[in-house]
Amino acid sequence: MVSQTALAAINLHSILRNMEDLCDLDERAKQLIQNHKKAIRFCVPQMPPLTLSFENGKCKASDEAGAHCDIRLKFTSPTHFNQMVSGEKNPIPTKGFTSLGFLKKEFMALSQILETYLKPTEEGLKDRIFAEKSTILTAYTAFFALSQIGNYDELGKLSAGRIEDGAICIDVTQGPAVTIRVKEGHMHTEKGFCKEAKAFMNFADIQVAEGILRGTLDSYACIGKGLLSVKGKIPMIDNLNKILSLVPVYLA
Amino acid sequence: MKTYEYNNSQALFERAVKVIPAGIYGHLGPSEGCFIPVSAYPFYAKRAKGAYVWDVDDNRFIDYMCAYGPNILGYGHEAVDEAAAKQFREGNCTIIPTEKMVTLAELMVDTVASADWAFFAKNGGDVTNLAVMTARAATGREKIVKFIGGYHGVAQWMQSLGYPGIIKSDVENVLAIPFNDVAAFEQVVAEQRGKIACLIATPYHHPAMADNQVPLPDFWQKIRKICTDNGIILIIDDVRCGFRLDVQGSDHYYGFEADLICFCKALANGYNISALCGKNFLKSAASSVFYTGSYWLSAAPMAAAIETVSILKKINAPQMLLENGRILTEGLVQKAQKHEFNLLVTGEPSMWYMRITDDESNVLHQRWISECVRRGAFFASHHNLFMNCAMTQEDIDLTLEIADEAFGVVAKERA
Repeated sequence: MVSQTALAAINLHSILRNMEDLCDLDERAKQLIQNHKKAIRFCVPQMPPLTLSFENGKCKASDEAGAHCDIRLKFTSPTHFNQMVSGEKNPIPTKGFTSLGFLKKEFMALSQILETYLKPTEEGLKDRIFAEKSTILTAYTAFFALSQIGNYDELGKLSAGRIEDGAICIDVTQGPAVTIRVKEGHMHTEKGFCKEAKAFMNFADIQVAEGILRGTLDSYACIGKGLLSVKGKIPMIDNLNKILSLVPVYLA
Repeated sequence: MKTYEYNNSQALFERAVKVIPAGIYGHLGPSEGCFIPVSAYPFYAKRAKGAYVWDVDDNRFIDYMCAYGPNILGYGHEAVDEAAAKQFREGNCTIIPTEKMVTLAELMVDTVASADWAFFAKNGGDVTNLAVMTARAATGREKIVKFIGGYHGVAQWMQSLGYPGIIKSDVENVLAIPFNDVAAFEQVVAEQRGKIACLIATPYHHPAMADNQVPLPDFWQKIRKICTDNGIILIIDDVRCGFRLDVQGSDHYYGFEADLICFCKALANGYNISALCGKNFLKSAASSVFYTGSYWLSAAPMAAAIETVSILKKINAPQMLLENGRILTEGLVQKAQKHEFNLLVTGEPSMWYMRITDDESNVLHQRWISECVRRGAFFASHHNLFMNCAMTQEDIDLTLEIADEAFGVVAKERA
């Protein structure tokens, strides 16, 4: 069963967080924010806020409560935030009333570009460069969603609680890498490879990651073929896989 | 030393994934079997004899997994195979059972110290599940107590919430406590007074991917008394340890008596049969449980079991396995020390668990195991290993030579 809180956490900290990578990968996105210096904070109850800071054609995502913001958007509940994402309701601005134009114009345009990558058409995926970027963003979405499901979904919390404290590194050869840090059942995803992790999961290349994350490749068959490999503390990976199997429930 | 390649295995796997979920599902497959990395392991066997398995690339391995336990006398044991073959010729899966069923039950009762009767099925999970159903039928209670990490099969109640296919109601009556913790058992018994049907446990704690724990002195005697005092059925899952510690049952080895005891794996040296044995006071409860299967009373595996158990008793197999396991594990520890690794060996020597403790992640251990496999010693990195009666001193010496060279490879990488 989909938890509204887990869904909101995914919408916030795995999907919207992608703005950071979108502005690196997509030239249109970069151009849209080239001359803007704005920071937007999304405050959703029951979870850390997300601040997206745009400056010099780059975006930085932060979940630190003390980050500077120019625009603050408040939501009354996780469900309210999910309704905003699906276009049913509006946020409640509590700061930055004179900057709302950026939100309505540039930020809205960025969201639309992001959607083309995260919900690509079959036609779009025929373009190899677009498909690769789409996979990178999809991979980051899924990798960051793992922590949100582990922290907020009822079954996800059970699996997260079975993961011993330490870092799990997930990477795509010559592609994105994230490190998931687990402490007392709480998970936190951050970008980058971690050599000191206790457990490792590697996708042989971006096409394998694409196939597994989109469900067109069988992950077990990929393990047998050496296209998806694991090492280190396998119980950590086993429990992470249980959470990974819940990702499509939320991202479908 | 030559290292192996697996071109035929990999080609066969390519065919398999097209028509079989996961290519090879379950514990024999590369995923659940923790083939790390997969390139170090064979996927398919061509033949097996004694202590050895040959893969489809004609590489020979000393099999220290023993098919995860069933191979106890050696693959293709002539006397066992002949007993089974004779029974196949005479009649196997028939409309009424054969005399072999009675003979095997009598043999089990005469062999297993705590057994007054025997019930036969196919896999270990069949009889661990039957044991729990019998306990519930006898007590009218719902709750099952087990030890954290204890493996008793794959039925829903044996898994955990969050695992694919498992729902809350499957596991809500299962309570898990730490092994070797009498106080935890006393506490759960006090909290659930009158509700606990059984405690199910392996005779010593041998979970996968964790150091194994033998029982503390008096642990089982204290647990036995608490069970008796509170009307809780004590079930020993001897599926994995059975006949590798004591032919009379692993409860006998540790000096107590189970109410119900489950056997499978080594019972028939690879023929498919399992057994639940129990005390008289539970016989009518076992009869009352509706529990059967198309092949459970097949006679050929029973003939194989009769021959296997008879030989195991005659040669005192557990003593041989424990002793050879001790020689091998001491040698492995010495080889590790030579290369400045610390190899920790836990559990009982006939089915020991080992782990290089020099890195927290197990990556070094997985590397060493993979280099051993590539050279012909089939170990698993995540699970206890097994000895069998066909292994010779020559096999042990070769294994130590392989281990030495494999440690050398890993030591060089570490440097």
